[in-house]
Amino acid sequence: MMKTVKEDIKEDLKNTCLTVSFELKKHFRMKRMIISFGLAIGLPLIFYIVPRIWASFPDTAEGFATLNLSFVNLLIIISGSLFAGDAVVGEFEEKTGLLLFSTPQRHSTIFIGKYIGALLPTLAVVSIYYLTTSLEIVGIYGTGGLSIELFQSFIISLVYTTSAVSLIFFFSSILKRKITSTLLGFFSLIMILPIIESVLQFLVEVEPWYILTYSAGLITDVFVSVPPIGGGPGGQVGQFSPDFYMGLTIMVLHTLVLFFLSVFIANRRRME
Amino acid sequence: MDDCIIRTENLVKKFGDNIIAVDDVSFDIDKGEVVGYLGPNGAGKTTTIKILTNLIEPTSGTACINGIDVNKYPKEALKDVGSLIGVPGVYGYLTPQEVLTYFGKVYRMSQREIDQRIEEVLEMVNLSDWRHSKIESFSTGMERRLAIGKSIFHEPSILILDEPVLGLDPEGIREMRELIKSFQKKEVTVFLSSHLLDEVSKVCDSVIFLYDGKVVERDSVEMIDQMMKQFRLIEVEFLNDLSEDDLRRLDELSIIEDIEKINRRKFRITKEEGDPASTAHMLRSVIEEGYDIISYSPKKSDLEDFYVSLMGERGGA
Repeated sequence: MMKTVKEDIKEDLKNTCLTVSFELKKHFRMKRMIISFGLAIGLPLIFYIVPRIWASFPDTAEGFATLNLSFVNLLIIISGSLFAGDAVVGEFEEKTGLLLFSTPQRHSTIFIGKYIGALLPTLAVVSIYYLTTSLEIVGIYGTGGLSIELFQSFIISLVYTTSAVSLIFFFSSILKRKITSTLLGFFSLIMILPIIESVLQFLVEVEPWYILTYSAGLITDVFVSVPPIGGGPGGQVGQFSPDFYMGLTIMVLHTLVLFFLSVFIANRRRME
Repeated sequence: MDDCIIRTENLVKKFGDNIIAVDDVSFDIDKGEVVGYLGPNGAGKTTTIKILTNLIEPTSGTACINGIDVNKYPKEALKDVGSLIGVPGVYGYLTPQEVLTYFGKVYRMSQREIDQRIEEVLEMVNLSDWRHSKIESFSTGMERRLAIGKSIFHEPSILILDEPVLGLDPEGIREMRELIKSFQKKEVTVFLSSHLLDEVSKVCDSVIFLYDGKVVERDSVEMIDQMMKQFRLIEVEFLNDLSEDDLRRLDELSIIEDIEKINRRKFRITKEEGDPASTAHMLRSVIEEGYDIISYSPKKSDLEDFYVSLMGERGGA
């Protein structure tokens, strides 16, 4: 008997949720959760404990937040690589796909579930990092230290997380080895894209507004009160700073394009 | 009503421009049939099975289960199918309980059904004591048994098995055979691929012979039995001449089906079974009867030879 469209979608959603829970269990069992959540709490603690014992805290809450949040980018890249690096490629490399893909599910529902399963813990890690930082700010500067810029930075971090996870997930859907996909994802965001960004900025003197990691600069730039020089496309040549809305748009575009491309490619991939 | 459960029509699978893995394969399998898909390595068995389970798409042609095109409507077509393809990896970081629970949920089983079936299936595949152990500590054979357990977990009415005894020890092979026979009684439709003649002849009703991507023959299991005879032949040379009385004594041994004289010391013996263990058993029995054997040679023939001869007869090779 044929199902109605509504029933069909409901069934697909159920399958996606099943994959998400299965992926989360995987991350938990493989100690990825412990590593990432440990870093999300441990890193901000270092910025709290070290100045408390050996130095002094910055004069303003913004200064403390800027210092602390300069490492959130690294955390996003580490967590994203851990959670998304093997998401698709693992099923092919380990041949577990022979069990999974022969079940009565649309392959796309599995891949969407895997994407969400990689994204959710990375978002949680970032949230914990901001929560810890906020608690530290309250502890040092009082509730007045919590600014709108901190909230803006948090939102940018979440959006950047989705685009970073999408990029690593994309590598996972096109490459043949888990290690290659994880390392390429990690080094793209930590080294390759920042190098291209620097070359464009300082050698070619063009603003790299379309590069993902350039937009990620907004995470700490929002705390700078002086308006950036030449923000956005067509800005002045020299030291550039990403424009807030342009940066967000670029990150959202990266997320959407890479996500749909990944699911499309993974869906066409076969256990040959 | 059409009783056909599995049907392929003019199935073709090409890899690149030059490799044709499956070449115009068509067959029907009816409800409750146990059909072997026999062919040497590289014949296209796994490729056909992968198409039937939506792991790959055919270049042309169709594969249907219960009348539904598997590659167009996999969700509907594979609902009642249990499959074991190649040597799958099993999620090492999970326990058998967790793996089976996940797949039970995929097949929309209730938690009660899942709990009940976990007990039954793990008992069937001898993994009850390992229910809560991480799979990464399992041997290859244990992983294989768990994969078999997964394929039958939701009590499917169709089973598609690719080389099911691969990686199993003799005891595991015997158990697998019994398991398939039990499905036969329950009217489960079984389609199993193998390159082992012996295995297929013991459990199947009929056999589809595949060679070089093409179906070359479909026949009953009796035909395989005839073929198996050549694997049961062994030439034995004795130290001393054998009299007619000696021949009668040997013929009375239960493991020997027939004995034929080549010369006074050399004989062609047909064994009851075709496997190497039965050869050892037969030789031991003859020696225990007090006869000295100076040499023996099993008849050299294999599936590949059979296919070449079959294709030759049909003018194809």
